[in-house]
Amino acid sequence: MSYDFDWSSIPGALPFLWQGMTVTLEITATAILVGIVWGTLLAMMRLSSVPLLSWFAAGYVNLFRSIPLLMVLLWFFLIVPRLLEHLLGFPPGSDVRLASAMVGFALFESAYYAEIIRAGIQSVPKGQVAAAFALGMSYGQAMRLVILPQAFRNMVPLLLTQAIILFQDTSLVYVSALTDFFGAAYKVGDRDGRIVELLLFAGAVYFLICFSASLLVKRFSKRTAT
Amino acid sequence: MISIRNVSKHYGSFQVLTDCSTEVNKGEVIVVCGPSGSGKSTLIKCVNGLEPFQQGEVVVNGVSVGDPKTNLSRLRAHVGMVFQHFELFPHMSICANLTIAQEKVLGRSHDEALDKGMKFLDRVGLKAQAQKFPGELSGGQQQRVAIARALAMDPICMLFDEPTSALDPEMINEVLDVMVELAREGMTMMCVTHEMGFARKVAHRVVFMDQGRIVEDAAKEEFFGAPRSERAQQFLAKILQH
Repeated sequence: MSYDFDWSSIPGALPFLWQGMTVTLEITATAILVGIVWGTLLAMMRLSSVPLLSWFAAGYVNLFRSIPLLMVLLWFFLIVPRLLEHLLGFPPGSDVRLASAMVGFALFESAYYAEIIRAGIQSVPKGQVAAAFALGMSYGQAMRLVILPQAFRNMVPLLLTQAIILFQDTSLVYVSALTDFFGAAYKVGDRDGRIVELLLFAGAVYFLICFSASLLVKRFSKRTAT
Repeated sequence: MISIRNVSKHYGSFQVLTDCSTEVNKGEVIVVCGPSGSGKSTLIKCVNGLEPFQQGEVVVNGVSVGDPKTNLSRLRAHVGMVFQHFELFPHMSICANLTIAQEKVLGRSHDEALDKGMKFLDRVGLKAQAQKFPGELSGGQQQRVAIARALAMDPICMLFDEPTSALDPEMINEVLDVMVELAREGMTMMCVTHEMGFARKVAHRVVFMDQGRIVEDAAKEEFFGAPRSERAQQFLAKILQH
């Protein structure tokens, strides 16, 4: 079996591929940001002594962790456009694929971040809360000033690892024909009849980014462990 | 100053405290002792509301701790507490440990908080360590910082929950010295401790607990001279043997 590799369509397509990469990065960044904020709130609700809050958070986390990401994305692709048209007055038929991808990823990742953050909060010794309270701090102050800073420090390697997984998972937006990096590579390959080359190239780029990021995480966690 | 009246507490069906009553008057030093699991730590944590209780009443400086309407944070800001495991905040410098609650809880300016914090750090003999982090200090030093942190809040009384139990023997004295000095200055103190030397030196009264009950509550001389209860006699015989 012989296959003549022809990489010539890649250089010309780089601007288009870069555009795709910005979409990938935008989705990743949004999902990380929202995921950490919403995930922190969910984690605090889950640990709260108010049953309603902890049930809600547990339900949310279990729901999202029990459905395939692909399905969540499809749902959001189908539902969110209608919702946005409704809520924000977007004209019907406008392109909200990016927005729906962001919402889908953010809500999905929050469930995973919530569990990481919950474990992080629980890793802080209970005496620290007692000490913060004994100094007259409110629950909010104790969390913000004493518990969460320590929890996040313990969690950084896990949060970054989750971010790397998320970065790879963004390629799933191809179900909505959104042109992220993977989608861009696929489209170029399709146009030039060079799918194999483009997919190999895309794979190499994903590998390079993720592998170097995970090396960084490893170095970082070694440094904080001491 | 601190008045504990008929306090009972249980976790589910397990009774931790049964009908405990005692008083700590202004300027008094009370040592609470007893075998482990006797409820000493739980009792002292009821005083600033870190442990809720089901029955009875704890009144600190005229404020009822168990009353749901009480602003516990405001009360705790003026009741100093020192823990067995120090509980300094490991992600902050010694300096920040001393100032954070002064600024965020009492609303003092940074300069004022720093002044005050340094004053008390100097008092416990650790001014040179201000820029270090808790992990860089020995256990004894950390506990002295914890005492300074509590004192910087201008407490009306101090609670000590086994402040020397987690320390290596050679570090116990440096912490006890600070506590003795504090007691001699007239600080109102309630101390859960096994350090009978400390009790003999500065305590006014000794409260002896066993199985969640206050078995004996007597003046120091009386307690060490001739404890009335058999349980306290046994306890003293055991810990004073060597």
